[in-house]
Amino acid sequence: MAYRVSRRVGGATLACCLASVAAALGSGIAQARQPVVGLDAGTVSLSESGHLHLTSKHGFTLNEQGSAAGTIGGTIYIHLRLVSSSRVTSEVNIYPHGGSLSGYGSASYHVVGSYASFSGSLKIARGTGSYDGARASALRFTGTIQRRNDAVTVQLSGPLTV
Amino acid sequence: MIRSLRSVALGAILLTCASALPAAADAAETVVLHTSFSPDRLGASTTIGFGFDIANTDGGPPSPLQGVSLRLPAGINYLSTTLGLAICQPAALLAHGLAGCSPNSRLGFGSAYVEVPFGQTSAYEIPDIQALMGPPHDGNIVVLFYANGREPVYAQIVFAGELIAGSETLSGSLDAAVPLIPSIAGGSPVSIVSVRTTIGPAGLTYYEHVHGRTVSFHPTGVSLPLRCPRGGFSFAASFAFQDGTSAQATSTVPCPRRR
Repeated sequence: MAYRVSRRVGGATLACCLASVAAALGSGIAQARQPVVGLDAGTVSLSESGHLHLTSKHGFTLNEQGSAAGTIGGTIYIHLRLVSSSRVTSEVNIYPHGGSLSGYGSASYHVVGSYASFSGSLKIARGTGSYDGARASALRFTGTIQRRNDAVTVQLSGPLTV
Repeated sequence: MIRSLRSVALGAILLTCASALPAAADAAETVVLHTSFSPDRLGASTTIGFGFDIANTDGGPPSPLQGVSLRLPAGINYLSTTLGLAICQPAALLAHGLAGCSPNSRLGFGSAYVEVPFGQTSAYEIPDIQALMGPPHDGNIVVLFYANGREPVYAQIVFAGELIAGSETLSGSLDAAVPLIPSIAGGSPVSIVSVRTTIGPAGLTYYEHVHGRTVSFHPTGVSLPLRCPRGGFSFAASFAFQDGTSAQATSTVPCPRRR
């Protein structure tokens, strides 16, 4: 998996930087325009959506790549693994400008005709670069899988401590 | 005659009750289960063939079937299938038959062989069976079975089975409550003697819109695992009958030969 060279954000706190980046995002989807809301010192309200396409499929695992937009944005990779009839686990990696975020999640999974939906939570366990030390214990993690081509849409939201 | 959908939970209740009741004095049902994969190739998309033959130990017609619970082997990959891209509404199916639902909701098809009691004698009927994707129930996949009989009993019946998809290590299951099918007014219900049906892409054509054109394609079925379990792929089924008896049957699809 590709890894971007991280660049430290100089001067401003990351929360402020994120707010600036989000504010600077001119056009885009509604969620991409949402400003970053600082909850506490070092905490931002993450609201991210991603659109991904299938890169490979191995047994019960879908490997997906795409772009995320919202609070941070960047390239997003997701590995979705069907672990039971109604549950998936996931590994999510986001590569925003200047760093990366990695997390693991678990979600319920249901097939509804042409798509399958999942809904659960995700824990950010690791950050690098500008996001070094980033943590989130229970981000809301929802999305859909188009069954015809395995394209995935995903939404991540909740407090992220940086 | 049209029967409404029944709760799938009825199947489990029937099975539980059946096992708790003493068997009828002398007669009992015996069932032979048939299963197959086509193609039978590890790692490949496949069509599951499923069928059963019911007999009565006293030689008469078997008691009407009221519930089937099929346990599917672990390792079958449901994530890979594009079967059931559309949802068929039971009311539309009842009102218009197969034409009432999208072709993209079809999951498989087959036929049944039923014994229709007429007084002291019996007639036989071979209704078509269609399996379609129904609205999900409690987050689980629902398979609608549509049986279309023409002669001597004109009857269209829809009943639902709830599919609990398995995983790499967990087996799946399909539980269905089967409605009773009266033969004539006031007469005994018909007896299902045998069923043969498929769940899979064999013989199915789906359609999609691509750049303003309708294009046909063949859906992808569930995939077999890359490794065959020791002893082959084991299926097991429980059957509940109107007379309160139940029967169990097993079937194994052997591991494919190595090439």
